[in-house]
Amino acid sequence: MTNPAAHFKQVNHSVTKVDAKQLALGKNSYVGDFVPSDALIVKMLWSPHPHARIKAIDVSKAEKMPGVKAVLWHGNVPRNIHCTAGQGFPEPSPYDTFIFDTKVRFVGDRVAAVAAETAEQAEAALARIHVEYELLPPVFSIDEAMADGAPVIHDEPEAHVPIPIPYEPKKNLVARVGCEAGDFEQGMKDADFTFDDTYETPYAQHCPIEPYTSLAHIDSAGRIIITTSTQVPFHCRRIVAQALGIPVQKIRVIKPRIGGGFGSKQEILLEDIVALFALRTGRPVFWQFTREENFRTGRTRHPIRVRLRTGVKKDGTITAIGMDCWNNTGAYGGHGLTVVSCCGSKVLPLYRCDNIHFLGLVYYTNLPVGGAYRGFGATQAFFAMESTIDKMAEAIGMDPLEFRRKNHIKTGEGSPVFAALGEGKEGTPMTVGSCALGECIEKGAAAIGWQNRTDWRTKTGRYRRGIGMACLMQGSSIPHIDMGGASIKINEDGSFNLLVGATDLGTGSDTVLAQIAAEELATTTDKMIVYSSDTDMTPFDVGAYASSTTYLSGEAARKAAADAKRQILKTGAEMLNLPVDQVVCQDAHVQTPDGSQKVSYGDIACYALYQKNQYQIIGTGSHITEKSPPPFAAHYAEIEVDTWTGLIKVLKYVSTIDCGTAINPALCEGQTEGGTLNGISYALTEQYLFQNGRMTNASFADYHIFSMRDKPPIQAILVPSYEDTGPFGAKSVSEICINGPAPVFANALYNATGARLYEFPFTPERVLKAIQAVKR
Amino acid sequence: MKLCEFLRPASLPAARDNLRELGPKGMALAGGTALHFMQDHTPVTAVDITHLGLSYIRPDGDFYRIGATTPLADIQRYRAPRWAMHEICRRIATHQIRNISTLGGNVCRVFPWADLPVVLLAMNARMVVYTGHDQELGADEYFKTQPAKRYLKGDLLREVKVPALRSHHGFGSVKVVRTAAAFSMVTIACVLELDGQNIKSARVAAGSAIPFPRRLPSVEAALTGKEARAGVFQEAAAQAGHDAPWRGREGMSTDYSRHLAEVSILDALERAASFARERT
Repeated sequence: MTNPAAHFKQVNHSVTKVDAKQLALGKNSYVGDFVPSDALIVKMLWSPHPHARIKAIDVSKAEKMPGVKAVLWHGNVPRNIHCTAGQGFPEPSPYDTFIFDTKVRFVGDRVAAVAAETAEQAEAALARIHVEYELLPPVFSIDEAMADGAPVIHDEPEAHVPIPIPYEPKKNLVARVGCEAGDFEQGMKDADFTFDDTYETPYAQHCPIEPYTSLAHIDSAGRIIITTSTQVPFHCRRIVAQALGIPVQKIRVIKPRIGGGFGSKQEILLEDIVALFALRTGRPVFWQFTREENFRTGRTRHPIRVRLRTGVKKDGTITAIGMDCWNNTGAYGGHGLTVVSCCGSKVLPLYRCDNIHFLGLVYYTNLPVGGAYRGFGATQAFFAMESTIDKMAEAIGMDPLEFRRKNHIKTGEGSPVFAALGEGKEGTPMTVGSCALGECIEKGAAAIGWQNRTDWRTKTGRYRRGIGMACLMQGSSIPHIDMGGASIKINEDGSFNLLVGATDLGTGSDTVLAQIAAEELATTTDKMIVYSSDTDMTPFDVGAYASSTTYLSGEAARKAAADAKRQILKTGAEMLNLPVDQVVCQDAHVQTPDGSQKVSYGDIACYALYQKNQYQIIGTGSHITEKSPPPFAAHYAEIEVDTWTGLIKVLKYVSTIDCGTAINPALCEGQTEGGTLNGISYALTEQYLFQNGRMTNASFADYHIFSMRDKPPIQAILVPSYEDTGPFGAKSVSEICINGPAPVFANALYNATGARLYEFPFTPERVLKAIQAVKR
Repeated sequence: MKLCEFLRPASLPAARDNLRELGPKGMALAGGTALHFMQDHTPVTAVDITHLGLSYIRPDGDFYRIGATTPLADIQRYRAPRWAMHEICRRIATHQIRNISTLGGNVCRVFPWADLPVVLLAMNARMVVYTGHDQELGADEYFKTQPAKRYLKGDLLREVKVPALRSHHGFGSVKVVRTAAAFSMVTIACVLELDGQNIKSARVAAGSAIPFPRRLPSVEAALTGKEARAGVFQEAAAQAGHDAPWRGREGMSTDYSRHLAEVSILDALERAASFARERT
């Protein structure tokens, strides 16, 4: 059967990004481009201590310093508890944050802020703020956090959760979530082979090229206008209103172009401060994190310990999977519950198994704060799952590819996990609609040369090669939680204004949504004028996260376009003196099916606006999802290991993906390559190093991310499927690719040397020790 | 440092006069990349030395003369017989940084991770320092301590004389990095002089995994007079622990750092021997 996507004229084509020229010219695009010359500059005094109470603070000298216009600290700001994570409402995260508090909970927590005429003046003033701390015993690990009598990090009485989930701050427990299906213990007993392994995954930073950046000013009506680099403009407006104790009506949030987010900008870390300073001073106020601040104070990937217990029969049947996850959320709890939930919900359904156990626990520590990060828990859990899948295959003497092919979920199948695990509540029962994972496995295997792979552990010599693989899934939006809206109106020349709340943070979603709308309207993408994410001007959208934009906001754009199309057809039919059911939309015209009579969209717009029964042709649409169809992927890599030094070189990486219809194949390939490289870097080099809770490598000189200079050959292969519930068959593409490299490399390293690592990054020293242990 | 004023002298003597006059408030400025690592806010006056005709690479008898303000990118691109400096330069930082970072900037103030001092020590280069007149210093003496101290009174590096490699001489270098643009985990450079199958002389230097670049005399001693073969190289590399206080950094343990240095020495020696044999 032909894939319907083959016949699309706008969708499934690599049209040029709608903002390409603007970005290439580098003009008036990012927050930093809009800073007026009279803007005050913000600098923050950060806590040097991981855990301390502020006994006294004196800002009087700072207030008198040259150029200083205002100083904020816990004594002169509203004390409204809130959550900085923008992820739905009410939030599935604890309210545990104040604008400023009398306690600091990690190195990099807020103490006081200065707004001054120049950055130098602001920094000079910070040096004059005197703070007296009472040092408290810090908590630096999950084990310390869980221990009886552990120091309590959130002892403030206001801390609470807005939804009914387990939350015990006196035990440092942020959340507990779990599910059971079948009989896990019986499943373990039924197995011929059982496994019980614990895996550790590390901190990581998103490293967007544009740091956290915000600008605020007061308009002539007295409203606060916040221009900010955010993934969640509408959550931003709500959270700033809550933190400041002012109505949402007083705030407008504008998202210009964004220099990358990857989840980090799903958090409200600057906007409350610039808004408050703007209110206090009446001046425009600008704040941009330094790279060091991005590392220390910005959000990170949650480090998670995963204990995986599994059972398998000799015939390859998986009899039991038990996953216990301990999530270190750092000093504040945003995203803690949902990330750990996704460890289960985005990973466990991939393989058929009747007996499942899942438990996720989230704990506070006095370390940097975890947040949303591409992959969102699945990245951490897939390291454990896909490493163990290889171990199971080896135990029963089956090729790991065959083992995966035998067990992976297929079209029409469901998983009890879909219904059991949601984000902050139960999930949604679901069967898989589209699934081209089998084809992904085949194509990836051919591309990497899997047929030539054998057990290379017995080889000798310094440099050893190995091939590894992993299968992956993610989701597309969060059912019954995420919502996207769009509106579209026609102009006299047949162009359209497409207004979307969805947030393009460099992903190309404005282009993708324009393509979807154009396809629905039977016009061309270049006729779309896209304006995204302005809380005054565009419809609501929860924002860019949870792999939702194409699938969820795309369907909202399609619905809005369909609404406008109905009006265009009606007016066009009226102009042609034909019944509506005898005309169609084609090539920006309303016409008879044979094309003998037709009228252009431009003429229809002019007719509707100026000539008869005038009205504005405008369509609106909003969308929530009933399911979260997983994209699927099979990843492969060939690596070369220097067994004398432990250095790993990636010779080739193959990243296949089933994202349904690729709305814009070039952008999908870009997401796939970028996400894969992101994952390679995370697996091999990225590392937070600490000394007494202080990150010691908070710069790009010391924190190593892969750049294009380091990029190994990556072959991205798009494997089409058609997801009936998505816009023109689309699913998501953005997150899944980061989940692959860590397990793929672990499996390849084992294939090459027999050394299996349960912790990454795979630093040379760690790899060398594992190799030496095998030799011993 | 915070650059507050900017002078552009017309000659090397004038630049030296400016710097002597300014004392600690003055700073010779060429590429300026080192400023990134000098992030105190002391106000200084920059004395621009980029227009003094010190950007050049000239063969001169047994040496190549490289001007102090020659960008690393120029050294990377330069090709000539008996020349090997490009090999390490192409591995320093990024193209953008190599376009502005200069030879002088890398050797007048030596950071622990600097690669060029390691190479210049191995090659036995000579530094020409302008102190009112030209004073020539061998690499061993020049890199005995932090060279920045030498320039506190306004003296300036004019050029570096890198010996041309003679026949039977081989050069090898190894820079171990986590990513292409990262600072080195360990840098090793060596020059071997072969006499038939035997090593007549050896200069081996290391950097990055030790506090300051230095030669490795025990390693050199274990090579001199011996046959140039893998076993000898291995025994020599094993001496590295005697010569330098290897240290763990970036999460590496001290033991691993030393081990990595030993493997890198071995690799550098293999390369140098191979280089020399090709030139015999």
